[in-house]
Amino acid sequence: MSEIRVVLALARNDFSYFFRTKWLMAILLSLNLSDMLVVAFVYNGIMKIDYLIIFIPGIIIMGLFAASLDTGRRIWLALREGVIQYELSLPVQTHGVVVAYLLAGGAAALVYASSLMVIALIVLPASAIWSAFMLLPFLFILAMGLAGIAATLAAIASTHGEFFFAFQNIVQMALLTLSTVYYPLEEIQKFLPPLLVTVVAANPLSLATEALRQYTFNGAPIELSLLANIFLTSSLFAIVGGFAYLGALRQIRVKGKL
Amino acid sequence: MYAVETNDLTKRYSKKAYALKNLDFTIDENEVMVLLGPNGSGKTTLLLILATVLKPTSGHAEVMGLDVSAHPTHVRRLLGISFQEARGFWRHKPADILRFHANVCGVPKEKRDTLIDNLLKDLELWDARNKLFMHLSGGQAKRLEVAKVFVHRPKFAIFDEPTSQVDLRGKRKIWAQILRLREEGSTILVATNEVREAEFLADRVTVLDEGKKVVCDSVRHLKDSITGGDVVELEIDTPDVQTIEQVLSRIEGTVKISNSGENRFKAHVSMAESWVPKMTDVCYRNKANIVSIRVTEPSLDDVFLHFTGRALREDTG
Repeated sequence: MSEIRVVLALARNDFSYFFRTKWLMAILLSLNLSDMLVVAFVYNGIMKIDYLIIFIPGIIIMGLFAASLDTGRRIWLALREGVIQYELSLPVQTHGVVVAYLLAGGAAALVYASSLMVIALIVLPASAIWSAFMLLPFLFILAMGLAGIAATLAAIASTHGEFFFAFQNIVQMALLTLSTVYYPLEEIQKFLPPLLVTVVAANPLSLATEALRQYTFNGAPIELSLLANIFLTSSLFAIVGGFAYLGALRQIRVKGKL
Repeated sequence: MYAVETNDLTKRYSKKAYALKNLDFTIDENEVMVLLGPNGSGKTTLLLILATVLKPTSGHAEVMGLDVSAHPTHVRRLLGISFQEARGFWRHKPADILRFHANVCGVPKEKRDTLIDNLLKDLELWDARNKLFMHLSGGQAKRLEVAKVFVHRPKFAIFDEPTSQVDLRGKRKIWAQILRLREEGSTILVATNEVREAEFLADRVTVLDEGKKVVCDSVRHLKDSITGGDVVELEIDTPDVQTIEQVLSRIEGTVKISNSGENRFKAHVSMAESWVPKMTDVCYRNKANIVSIRVTEPSLDDVFLHFTGRALREDTG
């Protein structure tokens, strides 16, 4: 079996693992749907802006984010249960294991976010549904990047579960708060200093949310520069996360543990 | 060419913590080599290095002529390892785990299902086939762990304590599968601290202690190499137990004699075949009647004790 096929088999295995955790799926889905179908409608009545068009694409990206971060939980479990040693004994190079986890994390998150998008299209009909398909590859890169961050957290937390979940919450809070997932950039500019506004604008979560808002739900023409920015910032996350996880696996090969 | 060869192999986890020290070790092709040693003797470290999961600190290790450090992926294509602790995907069923492993290791698709079903039945996992890995008992998880190697049937198979937590019936089935693998041409390395397992499986035994090779030979040669290794248990009808004990201790070849209650004696002798006739002659001359004689051979526990001065199981709990 060629090495690429082993990587794909590992990725497929981890991908299926995400959907086997049914209780997690149920919780995640119920949270996202309650946001989409209850919170968004309530806020829409309270706020002056069209909150549905702001928030519903945001929830799709939140779902993508949460599902990508679950990669970290699976890696953490693999480290804790020693499954990682088994994977390191398979006929694949160490970086193949890393790529497999990133691919699986990206694919699982994309499938999950796509299902949210289908539900969102019922609530908030798309102006240009084809643009959603155009965005999918970029959302996949973003999900891989986020999976890379999750992998890094899992590697840093090693076998201490409480650290992993604490790190995950800190990253979640930072990345979601400093993004335009909940509010448009114009609103954020009123409250945050310019430096943080720059961070918010460059956050790939903001970029992806904006792309969904503008292209899929508002029907604006696609700008390649925005897609390129999503690709570049997400790739950076994926590369950093991938190398951090690779470093952790190499440490396991030397020390026998993290 | 050896199937496995290590030269000066050293593994250090920290400056002072040596797991292996300058180990020179070989396994012939199609041989079952058993690593025997107490916990912490370096067995698992050696297996993990050969399986390319761990990197050696220094020295050299080859599997089928391939350097484990220079060509780890090629080496991994040749081997299969059953870990000491079962490693399984928590939310997968036994057949899914074996199917994944067979797929990754390149077992032809048309053979997989039959092979997996037969193994699940043979290793008595059939009734647990619908349980998730996380719900398997320790023994079931361990049997599934070794089943991965049996489904793969690699050229070089590594087993780390393959029957720990497994009942006697299960042990025999696993041993039979290991020997079948050898018959098919695989080279096999088994690490254990179970003497019976070593005696049943081994073509040769390497005794490891504190990261060093103490001795390596066939079970027969190892036992024969122990002076005083034969044990003769005697029951002698005599009114003067003390005199008989003294007389027996003076027979050539007696290493140690002890009175194990009333008229019973236990003699550790160099060679039972030559000692027993001398003993019968001495008893006849001292008018002592021999009621029973039982000759036993030393176990690998005795071999380990002989070469290391420590009992094999004293630190295994």
